[in-house]
Amino acid sequence: MKKLKVLLAMVLALAICLAFCACAKTTEQPQSDDISGEENSAQPTALGDPEKKAILVVSFGTSYNETRAVTIEAIENAITAEFTDFDVRRAFTSQIIIDKLASRDGLEIDNVAQALERLISEGYGTLVVQPTHIMNGYEYDEMLENIEPYKDSFVNLAVGQPLLSSDDDYTAVAEMLAAETAEYDADNSAVVFMGHGTEHAANSSYAQLQQKLLDLGYDNYVIGTVEAAPSLEDVMEKCEELGVSKVVLLPFMIVAGDHANNDMAGDEEGSWKTEFKAAGYEVECVLRGVGEYEAAQKLFVEHTREVVESLG
Amino acid sequence: MKRKILVLLLAAIMTLSIFSACGAKPEGSGTAQNDAEISFVDDDGNQISLDAPAERIISFYSAHTENLYSLGAGDKLIGGHTTCVYPAEAAEKAIYDYKGDPEYVIAAQPDVVVIRPHIARSTPEYFETLKNAGIIVVSLYPESFDDFPQYIEKLALLTGTQERADELLEKFYEDLNAIHELTSLVDDKQTVFFEATEQNIRTVAEGSMPDRAIEYAGGINLAEGAKPMTEGSSIAEFGEERVLARGDEIDVYVSQRGAMNSGGNLISIGERPGFDTVKAVEDGRVFLINEKLISSPTFRYYKGVNELARYMYPELLDDTSVFDIDEPATRRQFASMVVRTLHIPVYVPSSSKYYREERDTHTYGMFEDVHWQEEDFDYIETAVYTGYLSWRKGEDGLEYFDPDTIVTREELAKTVFIAGDFSSGEAHKAIADLDSCENARIVQTLVDCGVFELTADGCFEPQRELSCREVLSALAFINK
Repeated sequence: MKKLKVLLAMVLALAICLAFCACAKTTEQPQSDDISGEENSAQPTALGDPEKKAILVVSFGTSYNETRAVTIEAIENAITAEFTDFDVRRAFTSQIIIDKLASRDGLEIDNVAQALERLISEGYGTLVVQPTHIMNGYEYDEMLENIEPYKDSFVNLAVGQPLLSSDDDYTAVAEMLAAETAEYDADNSAVVFMGHGTEHAANSSYAQLQQKLLDLGYDNYVIGTVEAAPSLEDVMEKCEELGVSKVVLLPFMIVAGDHANNDMAGDEEGSWKTEFKAAGYEVECVLRGVGEYEAAQKLFVEHTREVVESLG
Repeated sequence: MKRKILVLLLAAIMTLSIFSACGAKPEGSGTAQNDAEISFVDDDGNQISLDAPAERIISFYSAHTENLYSLGAGDKLIGGHTTCVYPAEAAEKAIYDYKGDPEYVIAAQPDVVVIRPHIARSTPEYFETLKNAGIIVVSLYPESFDDFPQYIEKLALLTGTQERADELLEKFYEDLNAIHELTSLVDDKQTVFFEATEQNIRTVAEGSMPDRAIEYAGGINLAEGAKPMTEGSSIAEFGEERVLARGDEIDVYVSQRGAMNSGGNLISIGERPGFDTVKAVEDGRVFLINEKLISSPTFRYYKGVNELARYMYPELLDDTSVFDIDEPATRRQFASMVVRTLHIPVYVPSSSKYYREERDTHTYGMFEDVHWQEEDFDYIETAVYTGYLSWRKGEDGLEYFDPDTIVTREELAKTVFIAGDFSSGEAHKAIADLDSCENARIVQTLVDCGVFELTADGCFEPQRELSCREVLSALAFINK
């Protein structure tokens, strides 16, 4: 119980901190038609049954159906299989994707606030929120902001960590990347992972992961980002230093969506594929999101377990 | 032989008879009774009278803007709507918003504001205010494709560009008929499904511009005779069930992209349940087309028809035999050869925010030495967009393509390598002048792969200028 209190206090502190933080930059406009209505308006009269438990898996979302099935859904399924006394629910943070799936495929997917409202109305008293984010960036912060108004609406509420959090996570992820790409690992090849990148301080995760790969002896593995540092230029410089003739490009993102298909593997000026080819490298693109890796799914299960166990 | 001539003649007569109505000189479209008086009725029924052609125009519709530029009246435009981004120079004009304060327009002192009926209905009070301020508001929109010439004539009357309009219209129908004549000789007619909206898989109504485009391009519309959802609408219900039921008939699947539809793409259409059985999906013949090319009443419609024809009959439309010559190959010809050989759909930016985004890559339409009305404009833009052809930023900070420069061997090597999939083997042939190659790795790989021969003394000759024939023969290795 003490652990829970500490956890709740941490979530609350972080949320308050974020509320006053100028860095709360988001890529999408807040939705005016959320179920939650006015900000901080959710103040239920009665708490739910603490024995009625749910895990809310929060993902950015993707409109690529097949990719979603093997990444986000696979993570959700792994969590469902492991925590049989919890009901597992889904929420996406991208309203654009939620709206697109609703209009195009008739798929109703909740945003975080809607999912929380639904759980409250159904009488859930215990909630674990597990994001499928790579790191504690803006998306993660925004999710915490969305949870904050509901902090008193559950008897037990805890939030799990993203993929990269502890040093052990970095080791596990580095080993996973190497194991999943062992077939491409050759003296004349570099295995290049393209992350998203962010202006958020969490961008240092990429450098940290790169260092971990080197520490583990995976010298020809290179991490870069689309939107921040290390940039494509940095990545190409490293490949030049490695003296390889071939690069294998993979997304370091949960799903292989638009960035992977266009910025990485697109036939267009400026894409990683085109730039590497223009520099004379043989290029192979592997459109497989990190969420497809079983080891990544297991890591998310472990992060969920940590918070589930903290609830006692 | 005689029979062949007879068939050709018959085909020509039929084509002429089908489309003769389109090329007819418009009647009652208006008059310029003398240099000082212009008078016609606009598409909202307003009597428009001007003493002289307009000199200061604000356009609230992208097609009007584009057509005014085509007519050579771009310099008369003093501003436009945020969606007016073609040609690229239109995006540099002041932006006005008919949902905002009309005082901004009044302050700019235009003599004419051109709109369309749809806009007039959305904010009537805005345009009342402009009229009260003495500004002439002209509402134009061709409801059907057959009204296009009359519409252009009215824009021409407004701007005193009738001569240019006549030339353009004549060329427009000539070009359309040329595509139709070319494809009408094909025995194996291709069936197209045109997806107008991803939502509910709607298609285009009979007689709409895309429907007519399929006809011009020599295709069969799977949804032939589809009735509009509402009167005057270009969209018709069709639905997933009917697409799937007739999936084996669909040779080519075209998805429209633009404001009306974000457009399914190759991946998302193939991912839809059951769509993997659609013939076009199985064959990888799913294409996107920008709505500005196919649904907008502009002269670019011809390009949309050409694109549809390329999707259906790539070998016919992308014939490169004209380049099988020993003449030096210019970069302009190079772009055309690359896009045709690889059957790359022409690139057109789909977002009206395009020019507000920062980029390190080339910006569409911004080459100082390639005009948007040039014949090879689309090929050049597309070849550069794909990264297959290079460009340069001049000392003046502006963008240049150097269309008349002759293609060198090394330049061709780079394009072939980027567009193809070539692997460097273990054994490397010795290249005597490899040190003088800027892209040594690429040259080495392609020589090893047999794409390029060396001279008798083992040189690659990176700076040697090439003929069109030499370019074509190297490009042929890309698809191998």
